[in-house]
Formats: sequence, structure tokens, C-alpha cells
Amino acid sequence: MKDQRVTRIEDLPGPKSQGELEEMKMPYEEWCRKVFAPGQEKTKPESLKGIRWLSTTMYIFTPHSVANLAELGAECIKIEMPRMGDPMRHTSPFNECYLYPLHDSRPMTGTGLGFTNANSNEYYITMDYHVDEMKEAFYRLVKLSDGLTECYRPGTFDRWKQSYRYLQELNPRFIYVWGGGFGYGPKVFGGSYDILGQAHAGLASVTGFHEDFGGHCTKHSNWCIDWYSGTQITVAMLAALYWRRKTGLGTMIEFSQVQAATRCLGYAAPLYGRFGIVRQRWGNWDTQLCVHGIILCGKSDYPDEANPQLKYEARYVVVSAFNDPDFKELCAIVGRNDLWDQYKTLQDRVKPEAQMVIYKALEDWAADKTRSEVVKTLTDAGLLAMPVMNDKEVYESEHFRQRGTIRWLDDPVFGDVLIHSGYSCGLMSKTPRRVNWIWRPVGADNVKIYHEMLGYPMSQVEQWYEKNLI
Amino acid sequence: MCDIIWCKDCDTVNYLDPYYFWNWEGKIKCAGCENVYYIYMIQGHMYKGPEKKPGEKEDILPVYADKPNEGYEEILPGTEGKTRPYNCLPRHIYLGEADMVKFSARGRPVRGWRPQPPSTGVAGSCGFTWDIQKLSPEVWEEYQEKVKKGEVGDW
Repeated sequence: MKDQRVTRIEDLPGPKSQGELEEMKMPYEEWCRKVFAPGQEKTKPESLKGIRWLSTTMYIFTPHSVANLAELGAECIKIEMPRMGDPMRHTSPFNECYLYPLHDSRPMTGTGLGFTNANSNEYYITMDYHVDEMKEAFYRLVKLSDGLTECYRPGTFDRWKQSYRYLQELNPRFIYVWGGGFGYGPKVFGGSYDILGQAHAGLASVTGFHEDFGGHCTKHSNWCIDWYSGTQITVAMLAALYWRRKTGLGTMIEFSQVQAATRCLGYAAPLYGRFGIVRQRWGNWDTQLCVHGIILCGKSDYPDEANPQLKYEARYVVVSAFNDPDFKELCAIVGRNDLWDQYKTLQDRVKPEAQMVIYKALEDWAADKTRSEVVKTLTDAGLLAMPVMNDKEVYESEHFRQRGTIRWLDDPVFGDVLIHSGYSCGLMSKTPRRVNWIWRPVGADNVKIYHEMLGYPMSQVEQWYEKNLI
Repeated sequence: MCDIIWCKDCDTVNYLDPYYFWNWEGKIKCAGCENVYYIYMIQGHMYKGPEKKPGEKEDILPVYADKPNEGYEEILPGTEGKTRPYNCLPRHIYLGEADMVKFSARGRPVRGWRPQPPSTGVAGSCGFTWDIQKLSPEVWEEYQEKVKKGEVGDW
């Protein structure tokens, strides 16, 4: 007779020993596919559900800080200028509009795709919050929210009696973010753009090839500092939310975009501080490793394509062979064993003069080859080589497709759109990011917020609308 | 900073290149008429020219042109036969005008045309779904045709 009070491991389901446990575990690859499951995001909970954030922001930098919260499940309310909306809707690419309508009263105007990714999952209301008539509605939103992000010149919201100094009296738990160009200090009235951040922080001065090679200081084509510093704001917001859990008190975050850009500069400031050396540009090569850079091949992978970006530009390859055996192999492949004899150590190769000789030899070798030939030859030899891919190739890449990095979204209002946004920000097994909609028309949620949430009568909402206040 | 060729025959100002460091020798056609001018620039300085070269074939077109004495009539970049085409961009797509698409690259409906019917909500508000069948029946019909022809893909 078995003693019911004793639990014997043999009677339990599952593995009976450590060895059996190990055997029964699914392979790591399979486990990852199961727990991250691209496409299944909406069956899982949202980590920031319950947080409500206001966004009185424009362009990319500050809106993106709120979109990060919205993709993680926070309820974010974007407040825009009545009838017009965020200027970013009208700016890019090339001032063209792609998705219609912008607003009920403007059926001929749409929103450009540049607006995408910086405002996903938000609710869209309009409000001219600087007039006295709308102050009450604005303050009531503040009382019901956890935080606000704004991007006006320093002191503007203070003049309108809606800066942190005023709002913390209404809601001591309120987290207030000012994000802008320079912040308080000698350049307090300076507005900002991404290019200004790249320039003022010194980032553009170390980007691109040196003038000796025909290069110039370069800004990144995309607004990478807008996206980067927006994300940095989100980090501060999450820390502020955690601090509030401990203390019950809100915070003001004052975030200068040009300041954020200095963080990308790596060793530039320490180098200057120690030796007085001003860091220079080194383009597509590397200052620590050689060979570890991008080379140009002679022939395109798509010689017959109409699109010049494919026809002419699909010619660049990243080559990395910086340790001694790899470099020796590379020299053998390009038929320049003399380079190996000359530069046997990394210290020899990494010197500027050596890099000029080595990369020229590589490009001479690649001059009669296509990009894929170069990649294949080097990869077959066990070296690291990777084509510099364009959007088309990223779209077609099996790697991104399997991980759900880039995917089609059936936007509820605008239809079929290709996006990456939330899905490019790291996967989370329990509470993944998701994109529910890319954006909504200007003022699309006026009734939802003013009437359903704040409880204003419909007649009041209509009256505000007629007076252009919302 | 940008050097110009002011064609006195048709009173058109042709803007040559937006960079101050231009080193270039060749012939440029005026955007306003058929005149062809030879120029030779060294480090952005006009070393020779502009000299008229009647009957010769041009090497390139100006970047942009305008007619300041005729109310600043502009000839925008990429105007066929007059100003330089964008080599870096597919001109059949980027024409400076919105492209009225109804379907995405994989053939599914996308709300990319105008005018759009107003969504009828109070104070500009609108619902969460674009009921394409109800709001844009003609696009729905076209979509059904595409589905039948197999023009709708997953990627």
C-alpha cells in the first residue's frame, strides 16, 4: 500500500532525473520561435497598460519618446493643432502625401509616410491649449494622466501656465518631459533639428571620409539623432515611473537633443581630454581594426534594374578580416601576399598609411567583380563579408522576415502598410511590443477623449470645433 | 553658393551646381532656349566661359533655372529636357506630386488617393475601421478583380 502522504518522483509527470530533464528540453532555436512567436503579439499582455501619457509634440524626436510607450501598451493621447496637425504629417518624403484623409475638413490633404513609426497606437485629439477657454480641459487631462511630453521653446509652456511648475500643483505624481534643442543655458532660445544635433554635438564632424580622400563631414540621411534621443527620453520616463512607484512623486525631465548626440561620440571627448587630439573622420574604415570596413566593387548586382539605387548603388560590401590568420587568407585571395609580408600584426595594419594601401588593394581586386561574387568568394573562404543592403533587400531578407522585424500591417484606417517600428526594438517573450495602427486622422478621437473620457457634453465639443479651438 | 549662366537671349538664369568646390569643364544647355554654353570651372571659379556653342550637343543640363524678370517663373529640377534629371531617384515615382495609389506593393487596398469622403463624425472624429466595401465600393470592386487575377500576394 502506497503511503499517500509521500510524494514519489516516479509518480509525477515530467522528467525523472536531471539527465531526462535535459533530454526533454526543446532545442533553444525551437523554444525561441515558440516564446517570441512573431505575429502572436496581440495574444499577450501589454507591460505599460494603465499608464496614460499626453503628447504635445511635433516631428520625430519628442513624438518618438511617446510612441515607445504606446507600443508597449500605454494609452497615449497626441494633442495636435486644430485642422492642421503635426507639421511632420506634411513634410516627408519630399513633401508628398501618401495616406488620406488628414482631417474631415480637408479631404484633399493627406499625411506623408515620414510620420510613420513616431506616433503609432496613439489617440489623436486637437486642442489650441494656449487659449484660456481650453485651459480647463487641458488641466483635466493632466489630472487624469501620468505624464506629458512637450517640445516647445523653453519657457513657452511656463508662459501659458502649463509647465511642470504649474502642473505639479494639480497632480504631484505628474511626470513632465521637455524635449528640445539646447535646453536652458546660453543657447536657451535655440530650436533644434536632427541635423543640428548631429552638427552641434560634433557627430557630423566625425562622420564620412576625411577631406584628404574627397570626403566632407556628413549627416546621416535619416534623422538618426531624432530617433536615438527620443528613445533616450523613453528610458528617462521609465526610470521616472519607477521612481514614482517608490516615492509617489513626479519628475521633470529636461532633455536637450544636442546633448544626447554627444553620447554617440565614443572616445572623442576622453581622447581630447587626455591628449588634446581632435578626433577625425575615418569614413567606412575603422580606427581600431583593419581590415574592418566597407569596400566598393566594380559591378552592380542589378545591372538591368531601372531604379538607380539598385542599378548603381548595389556595389558595397562590408569586409572584416582583422586577425592575423584571416588577414593572411584575405591577402592570398586577392593575390597580394606581399601585403601579408608587409603588415603581419594588427598594429601594423591599423595605421592610416597601411589602411590606405590595404583597402586600395581590396578595391582593385573587386573592380571587375559584382558584390555577390565578392561576398561569396570571401564567405567561402571563412571570412566575414556582408553586402550593404538596401530597403528592397531588407524587405526580402529571410532573417528579418522570420523574426517579424519588417512586416505588413492591415491598418484599420489606412489599409495595407509595410512597417518595422515596434518590431525592430527587441523581442519580449511575455509582453512584446506591438503596432495596432500607424496613426489616425487629425482629431479622430475628439469625441472619445472630450466626451467619453472627460465627460464634456457633445454640444460643448461641437461648439469648440466650430470656434476652431479643437 | 552657386554659379549661374544668365542667358540673355531668353532672359533665363541657369543655376549650375550647388557646391562651391566644383571642378568641371563642358557644355551646358540653357533651360529656357536651345543655346549651349561652354564653361570651365576650377574650384568653383569660372576659369573660362560661358561661351555660346551654337549647334553643339550639351554634356549636362542646369540643376535649376528661373526667369527673374518674368515674375520669377521657375523651371524646377528634373524638368525633362530643361533641367538635370535626378540620377539618384526614380523620376517616374518622385514627380513632386502625390502618387494616387489604391493598392500597396503586394496588391492590397491602401487609402492613398484623394479626395476622400468625410468620415461624418462629430468634431472631425472618425471610427476605428475603414469599411472599404461601404466607403469605397469602387476600390473594393477593383480589389476583387485583382484577387481573381491572382495579383494579390502575401509579400
